[in-house]
Amino acid sequence: MTNLRDDPVGAATRAEERPVITLRGVKKYFPVREGVLQQIVGHVRAVDGVSFEIRQGQTLGLVGESGCGKTTLGRCIAGLTDTTGGGIYFRLSEADRMFLDEMDAVGQDRQTSEQQAKVESIERAHRIDRLKGETWRTYRRNCQFVFQDAFSSLNPRHLVKDIVGRPLRVYKEASGTDLTERVVELLESVGLGRQHLYRYPHQFSGGQRQRISIARALALDPEFIVLDEPTSALDVSVQSQILNLLHKLQQDRGLTYLFITHDLGVVRLMSDEIVVMYVGEVMERAGAQELFASPRHPYTEALLAANPDLLEGDEEAEMRGLEGTVPDPARPPRGCKFHTRCPVATPRCGWEVDDAVAWLSDNSTILEGLGGVERSSDFESVLRFAEPGTAAEAESLLASAAIPDAMRAALVELDQDGPELRIRFEEVDRVRLEDVDVGHMTSCILHTSQADLDSRP
Amino acid sequence: MVEAAARRPPASSPSGPLAIRVRRFGEITKEVLRNPTTTIGLVIIASLLLMALMAPIITEANTPDAYQMPRDWGAINEPPGTPGHLLGTTSTGGDVLYGVVWGARTSLRLSVIVVGITMVVGTIMGSIAGFIGGKVDEIIMRLVDVLLAIPELIFALAIAAVLGPSFGNIIFALTVVFWVKYARIIRGQIIHVKHNEYVDSARVIGDSKLNIYRKDVLPNSVTPVVVQATLDMGNIVLVAATLSFIGLAEAGLAEWGVLVSEGQAGISAGRWWASTIPGAMVFLWALAFNLFGDGLRDVLDPRTEGR
Repeated sequence: MTNLRDDPVGAATRAEERPVITLRGVKKYFPVREGVLQQIVGHVRAVDGVSFEIRQGQTLGLVGESGCGKTTLGRCIAGLTDTTGGGIYFRLSEADRMFLDEMDAVGQDRQTSEQQAKVESIERAHRIDRLKGETWRTYRRNCQFVFQDAFSSLNPRHLVKDIVGRPLRVYKEASGTDLTERVVELLESVGLGRQHLYRYPHQFSGGQRQRISIARALALDPEFIVLDEPTSALDVSVQSQILNLLHKLQQDRGLTYLFITHDLGVVRLMSDEIVVMYVGEVMERAGAQELFASPRHPYTEALLAANPDLLEGDEEAEMRGLEGTVPDPARPPRGCKFHTRCPVATPRCGWEVDDAVAWLSDNSTILEGLGGVERSSDFESVLRFAEPGTAAEAESLLASAAIPDAMRAALVELDQDGPELRIRFEEVDRVRLEDVDVGHMTSCILHTSQADLDSRP
Repeated sequence: MVEAAARRPPASSPSGPLAIRVRRFGEITKEVLRNPTTTIGLVIIASLLLMALMAPIITEANTPDAYQMPRDWGAINEPPGTPGHLLGTTSTGGDVLYGVVWGARTSLRLSVIVVGITMVVGTIMGSIAGFIGGKVDEIIMRLVDVLLAIPELIFALAIAAVLGPSFGNIIFALTVVFWVKYARIIRGQIIHVKHNEYVDSARVIGDSKLNIYRKDVLPNSVTPVVVQATLDMGNIVLVAATLSFIGLAEAGLAEWGVLVSEGQAGISAGRWWASTIPGAMVFLWALAFNLFGDGLRDVLDPRTEGR
């Protein structure tokens, strides 16, 4: 398993390249509606504050389990889904980005009017949801998308010529025989040919259909393409053909890719830099080689452990598999979102009442005697049981050695008073991404300085 | 997948865009004709249409209005086989053959007008509801729900009765009743189709909403509408015959329902032909379009199509 990149350790040199796409705290919440009146009762936080940039000519790999928000993020970047917060910027210079970051830190109220005007002009020129007219068209042309399912992404009633030639028609770049010739060129560049012009998508195999999708994405000669699991619906042999094609096209045309996948082997092959997402947040971000050689987040380690052939001699890591299920993104865990499944979680990782309740319901039948819950915060609640005896039983369970050590250590108050059981966990801030090495960021508090782990509660 | 491979044309076959489309039409026709009941339906439809078109040749058109039954008061209640009145006459001297032939023409006119208007109106309303969504969708679909809650025959009957007995009013009443079905069908289809990734693909390219509707959404949504329209070509004639049978069309109109109504008094006296023959025509018409519509559905069903 080698990297297709000619310059695999070049992340540092590539950092000089200008960013094509810059994400600043991007959020996408989907409302959860309930009842006859369809009232909004909460939000699924599909993407919850993601920042990174993708540089010219690079491939950024975005990995994570299904449901972690990676496809939603890709759709937001391509302008297919609007964002709830934060901004996605096109061709935002490093200087402008730093200015915006600075201004965010100052706060809108305390900016001078010149500063506000500059923020406004930067946003108008670069923030994709504020682009209008010609600048929007420029973005639209330069950002294309290749979907996972090449069957449903090709209109079954259109001929290949019309599918691949459509972008050229929309921008009035070609018509008549000129259009046909341009389409033939595009088809040839993805390994198809003139004989395929007048066929329907259903007459092709999966790999060929994905080639047609790629040809269409290339038609406007874009700068940047979002590849949303472009090979995960294909056979392994076809997969490698498509990956090679994508790599060759990148070399020939200087394309920039956002490569979304759950397949670590593929992402390693294709990417310069990798971003690991979990429940809408970035867990770790590093150069491809660096990430595989020295992961600095237990979640990344767990993902690697699920692919034993990717591990480089770390026997111990193989033991750390992923257990449990992905938490509900409508009520994401506090602190570090991975603490509920983390094999090396500490008491400072964000344990909360939900964790205690989840543990009780998984490991006992005691919650059947629960009368009600009075929640004063995510970290503090009063559980009211029908019988005082049950409350006492719950208390002894939560105090016992049966529950995870880290959770028990984070429990600062456990008081039984008649049928009521008061639970209070230590409050913990949301974790932040921090630099741990050149071009290597992680949010895990074990690897950063954001929590003082020695002063245990 | 095996099927797709089998259908792949050989590399040497002509591959111009027109040739491809003609061949696809040919494929669909061949598949329709593979089913014998569909073929029977198609043959009956063809003969009925031929009869309607050739009406002035088969019988001499009545003047001044060819859609009014000619009256031959010298030949009342003649049985079938009478010279000059091949299918007999009614108690008012109407030639049954004339009624059958010109009744086909009336039925054709009626069903084409009603299906044409309802299909267009229903498709527009359903498209607006499904493609735009939100409040507009709510308003249109609640109206559709209300209209669908009323039995179609009773509803058409009420409208036609209020407006007074005339064939034009029957057409109007049927139009008001029948468009809602199309609106509901097309809305459902559009909501399903617009979430397809090829719609997102067109958005990523930057094509306009109208183009996306025109090129991607509508063509992939109309199949069930075409099937429903075929079935309705039969149903509408059936409902219209019912309405004219109970006297909501002008008396003396060359229309099957009117003829059945005129002839019913004679059935007990053994004069079966004046009612039964036009009644059989209604049956034949409705049956033919239902057979053909069912066959068409099997071939065009989007779940089996093109996969």
